[in-house]
Amino acid sequence: MTSPDRTPESTDPIATSPTGPTPRTRARARWAVPAVAVVAVGAAFTIPAIASADSPDLPDVTAEQLLASVASAEPTPLSGTAVYTARLGLPEVSAELTGGADPLNLLSGSSTIRVWSDGSDRSRVSLLGATSEYSVVTDGTQVWTYSSGKDEVRHVSLDDQLSGMLTVLEQQQAAKASTADVPTPDELATQILDHAREDSDITVTDPVTVAGRSAYEVRIVPTTTGTLVDEVLIAVDGETSVPLSVQVFSTQDPDSPALELAFTDVSFTTPSDEALAFSAPAGATVNEKVLTLADLDPDGTLTGALTGATDGALDGGAWADQHADASGTPTLPEGVSVTGEGWATVVQRDGVDVAGLLSGDPAAVAELAGEDSPFGDSANGDLFGEFAGDGDGPGLSLDTSALYDQLTTPVDGGRVLSSALLSVLVTDDGRVLVGSVPTQTLLQTAGLA
Amino acid sequence: MSRAEATSPAVGGSAATATAAATAASRAVGTDGGPGRAVGADVSDTASGGPRTSRARATARLLRNELRLVLGRRRNQLLLALLTAVPVLLGIMLAIVSDSAYAGQGPGFISRVAGNGLFLVVTSLFLCLPFLLPLVVSIASGDAVAGEAGAGTLRYLLLVPIPRGRLLLVKAAGALVLVLAGVLLVAAAAFLTGGLLFGFGDLTLLSGQSVGTGAGVVRMLGVTAYVAMSLTGLIAVGLFFSTLTEVAIGAMAATVVVSVVSTVLDSLPQLAAIHPYLLTHHWFDFAEFLRWDVSAGVLLQGVAVQAAWVAVFGSLAWARFTTADITS
Repeated sequence: MTSPDRTPESTDPIATSPTGPTPRTRARARWAVPAVAVVAVGAAFTIPAIASADSPDLPDVTAEQLLASVASAEPTPLSGTAVYTARLGLPEVSAELTGGADPLNLLSGSSTIRVWSDGSDRSRVSLLGATSEYSVVTDGTQVWTYSSGKDEVRHVSLDDQLSGMLTVLEQQQAAKASTADVPTPDELATQILDHAREDSDITVTDPVTVAGRSAYEVRIVPTTTGTLVDEVLIAVDGETSVPLSVQVFSTQDPDSPALELAFTDVSFTTPSDEALAFSAPAGATVNEKVLTLADLDPDGTLTGALTGATDGALDGGAWADQHADASGTPTLPEGVSVTGEGWATVVQRDGVDVAGLLSGDPAAVAELAGEDSPFGDSANGDLFGEFAGDGDGPGLSLDTSALYDQLTTPVDGGRVLSSALLSVLVTDDGRVLVGSVPTQTLLQTAGLA
Repeated sequence: MSRAEATSPAVGGSAATATAAATAASRAVGTDGGPGRAVGADVSDTASGGPRTSRARATARLLRNELRLVLGRRRNQLLLALLTAVPVLLGIMLAIVSDSAYAGQGPGFISRVAGNGLFLVVTSLFLCLPFLLPLVVSIASGDAVAGEAGAGTLRYLLLVPIPRGRLLLVKAAGALVLVLAGVLLVAAAAFLTGGLLFGFGDLTLLSGQSVGTGAGVVRMLGVTAYVAMSLTGLIAVGLFFSTLTEVAIGAMAATVVVSVVSTVLDSLPQLAAIHPYLLTHHWFDFAEFLRWDVSAGVLLQGVAVQAAWVAVFGSLAWARFTTADITS
């Protein structure tokens, strides 16, 4: 074959037709077909995206009204697909590296998440990898996780004593709520907004379309300049008041969100029982963890506070009183201090053996997991267990020290992890400082700059 | 073997050679019979019906010949045999190591195979998809037109009284059938090997939920169909390359390069914006059939992207093939 511009010599009747258009025009007309195909394909892929960018019509509401409707909304069952995207400036931890879909993948890049929830006690959340899944199934106080890559089940449940205590506390809470001074959703909304407006500007912007549904968008802008957070956008479904998307923008890149979690597809129907049930698949490794009172409260102070006032009967109020100072602010555990306020808050924790944690030293892990942690709840121990790695099981296991070295950069007197929204400083003398502030602020707080 | 050898009456012996020789001979008749006549001995075609029926019959005969040629060619049979061997060897290997320390190690779904033979189907396709199957695609489609041109038989083929566009379709169908045969053989061999060595049971999905064996088999059929569908875009690309040259090996190499480049681009996070439109991006979405809630939306995305590549490169191949001067 040669170029189409050559004088035709072929026996093909198409190219040598004596009448009608010349071969050259004919050739041009034929080459127009792929050009049209390219345009048509381009249009087919871009037009739906443009069409969905229109702003939908919803009645105007104030931030108070919107928050009140969220607070008063019935529990809504839903199932749907959401896309999570992190642009935090952290290295990507791919599913191949973690041996299948794993929460560590959420550090950066895009992940697809499927959610089924009955609106109250039961839910299933699946983090999808290319050929793997990490599922978290909750049913009341029980939690199962299943990693298809590792074929491993973790089951966390409460022992009888703890779940009994929880039931009593819930009943007390419900009794209190039905009898007396519970604020109406309107009042609650006003209270919350008044508090939040001390640090932020909160407005309701033009409605947006999320997952094909019309939604209100709430814009929260920190009033302080000392934080890495530029603004937060939350889309709330106009009909059911369920939040449909959250976008957090960093001051480093005000155009694309540093963190984004948004439904791409959602339906508000009750998922089937099969979707919410969990049974360990045949052949999977099952790790059982039953939380006992001793896990949460090794020295018995909590139990003492809960039962002390009234002859062994539980009283949640007593515990809350003991863990708060005179003004009602919760007291901090030992070794934890807070500086700055609002968005620019920096939390500092002393005496952390980072090297021990990284090498998976059981003593260091136990010490951290056993205490109250500044970052949250009992799940922390599990998380650190995961980070520290127990070295068993097939597949690639992540080298935690290498990951730590990769994530952090050395500074004078410690190491810093800086991302678009959060900075962490680990000093050589065992202090850990965390805040949604520039690294420089952490260094100053720690007295290193 | 090439068609040029087959034209020589001296070559013969095996059934495959005989078929190829017969096809080539039937095409060569056109030289003597003149362009206006149907190719082959069956003159009654043109006599009994109008030009439309004669054209349809000519197409049907050409298609039959093409399929016989593609599937009868020794090199293609060898290729299919090697593909079939992959799941068999994989199954035997996994059965041997199932009690050793190596059990449960390896990429993808390998660790599941020993528990349920159905997983051998997914595992085999998973392992063949990145390189082996694109190789089959490039051999099938890259050779389709360029092979004929290189062997000097393309101009005889053009004497068949059907439009060039339809001839191209016949060629595309030949390539498609070869690729489809490859995918089906891998799946079928994996199914049989898996069943014999490990037995079937309830299929554990990626979410930890299970479905029964029957539903599991249906899902495996879905995986196989999706994998075959995923390769259609690359077939169109290969066919286009094949119309550009007389050197079949060049078209084949270029087709492999396209699939490799697409995979490389897909792994660069900086290019995330174009990832959804890449030829290979949705290939591993066959895993959707292993999720509890098979999402039609995800599968349709894959289908839409392949359809787009087929539309663009199919029309490019058509424009090139119908306007080019064919001298060999």
